[in-house]
Amino acid sequence: MRLSARMPGIVLTAAGIACAGEASSFDVAFLTDPVGPKALPLLVAAIFVVVGLHEAVKPNASSGWPNRAATARAGAATTAFLLYALLLPWFGFFSSTTLVVTALSRLFGAPLKHSAPAAAGLAGALWLLFVLGLGLPLPVGELWIL
Amino acid sequence: MDSLGHLIGGFGVALQPLNLLLVLGGVLVGTFIGMLPGIGPINAIAILIPVTYTTGIPPESALILLVGIYYGSQYGNSISTILLNVPGTASAVVTALDGHAMTKQGRGGPALAMSAVASFVGGTVSIFGLVLFAPVLAGWAIRFGPAEYFALMVFAFSALSSFSGDSLLRGLASTAIGLWLATVGLDPHSAIPRYTFGQIELLDGMDFVVVTIGLFAVSEVLLLLEETGRGREAAASYGRVMLSAKELTGSAWTMVRGSVLGFLVGVLPGAGGTIASFLAYSTEERIAGESGRFGQGDIRGVAAPESANNAAANGALIPLLTLGVPGSGTTAVLLGALLGLGITPGPLLIEERPDLFWGLAASMYLGNVFLLVLNLPLVGVFVRALTLPRWFLIPGVAALAFVAVYAVNGSSFDLGLMTAFGVLGWSMRKLDFPLAPVVLGLVLGPLMEKNLRRAMALSGGDAGVLFDSPIAITLWGLAVASLLAPVAIRTWTKSVTTDVESALPRGTPDEL
Repeated sequence: MRLSARMPGIVLTAAGIACAGEASSFDVAFLTDPVGPKALPLLVAAIFVVVGLHEAVKPNASSGWPNRAATARAGAATTAFLLYALLLPWFGFFSSTTLVVTALSRLFGAPLKHSAPAAAGLAGALWLLFVLGLGLPLPVGELWIL
Repeated sequence: MDSLGHLIGGFGVALQPLNLLLVLGGVLVGTFIGMLPGIGPINAIAILIPVTYTTGIPPESALILLVGIYYGSQYGNSISTILLNVPGTASAVVTALDGHAMTKQGRGGPALAMSAVASFVGGTVSIFGLVLFAPVLAGWAIRFGPAEYFALMVFAFSALSSFSGDSLLRGLASTAIGLWLATVGLDPHSAIPRYTFGQIELLDGMDFVVVTIGLFAVSEVLLLLEETGRGREAAASYGRVMLSAKELTGSAWTMVRGSVLGFLVGVLPGAGGTIASFLAYSTEERIAGESGRFGQGDIRGVAAPESANNAAANGALIPLLTLGVPGSGTTAVLLGALLGLGITPGPLLIEERPDLFWGLAASMYLGNVFLLVLNLPLVGVFVRALTLPRWFLIPGVAALAFVAVYAVNGSSFDLGLMTAFGVLGWSMRKLDFPLAPVVLGLVLGPLMEKNLRRAMALSGGDAGVLFDSPIAITLWGLAVASLLAPVAIRTWTKSVTTDVESALPRGTPDEL
């Protein structure tokens, strides 16, 4: 059995230990109730450690990671989503959404000449529906206001 | 009869123009969402929650819309199952056996019609059960104290952990992840911050909409990127969507049995539509014996699971509304929506908010009629929607999800958090950790901790209070029994499970 198969169990065990370590600092000056704020986090930590050790010793044989190309596409999409979160306040809803939807439909294999107009149309339609129709405030973009 | 008078009052609420419109919209969106593999009712409901908050519609209207999506999706999930052999949601996987076999024999139309009729029977029988039993259960649950509530929530957690995946331990770990997320933020008892890592945004705790959309919708997008074939789905021709009188009468008892069985299974936490449909199918297969052609296009093989999964979906609303304790991921999201609207479901809900409970029940009768009447003629439209290219559909759903997450707090920090949960959800799916228990743990965790601390404070720290009453002891017994139940169910449905696994080319979708 390779180490990579045991990694999920090891990570879960480590998370349990970190969780318990942090919980030990949840001290209150006077105890308002007999259970206190530590009990549930410590129970959670115990479950993490027990399941984590089990998965590390006996890894799940049926699970598996996808091939490299698929993982790369998932990574690219994740990066696009994080950039979207960063750019949204500055570029505003319309521009940022057009960019991220174009990128995502390119990852799904659509050519640029289809994905870019579709994305812009979608972003515009969502703006009409939510901002003008339902009165939900979406960011206009700091860059365009300055 | 008291209930009848209340129900008539409920129709007064449901027939208001806004509510009528929301029921119609809800069931249509639900059918559409249930049909498309990969989107699912839990995402649709989570996306719509912040939108309903901003529009400021009254709580009963919001509930009518969200629940309409919930049971509407149970109608839609069989369309792609029957025509493409790709189940829209997990509770439709058994329908693939005979439903798709009928399509291959050129009898797709009757299969679609049977699934609509069976869904209607299951839906209607179970709403009858809902209005009959919900007030009874509420009257009984009024005696629950903190210790009984704590035991009940432990039962809900153990049942979902044990039913939702193939490993009890991984299910428990998923529940623990949800409980951990529930502790993030200021502890309401002692007002100390837990696991906020110094981030001001986290002091209020994790919002369940952000977590749900990240775990389910974003991870689904990442998962779908594995197959980026440009080809469109080709739906088989299905002929006329009609049933003969013989087909209808031949399946009548199957539908009644499926509905009752599905309803009973649905009321129990953890089990839900998938298990109900497997049980109904195996039961009918045994009853039919030699006369059945189950697995080779027997129409009863469509009637049984479709009536059972609709009945189970409605049955699951009973513990949600009368006890305030949901037993699945999707009903946990509905609980979160209700709490956000200032409604705390529980034994007093029916008495204190009769407009809400009876209005919802009446709207469900209307919704089921709409679904039956609209589904048969609109199948052609739905099938065309099924052939929309994926590169357009999935990014569009992602953009809707972004709007919803941003709308929760008006903050793009939540979009980053959502992405992180997307990566977590993707990894959990790859490693066979179920996702539904995370949402249940997150929504129910604060209530469980509150009841535990209250019970222990009342007893002065004596843990014996948790096992003090017959009700509490029964609930603890059920919690233990639920850990063993999957073994018994797997034995009863073994042949169906192996058939389903070999029949579905793309594997089975996650239980929600």
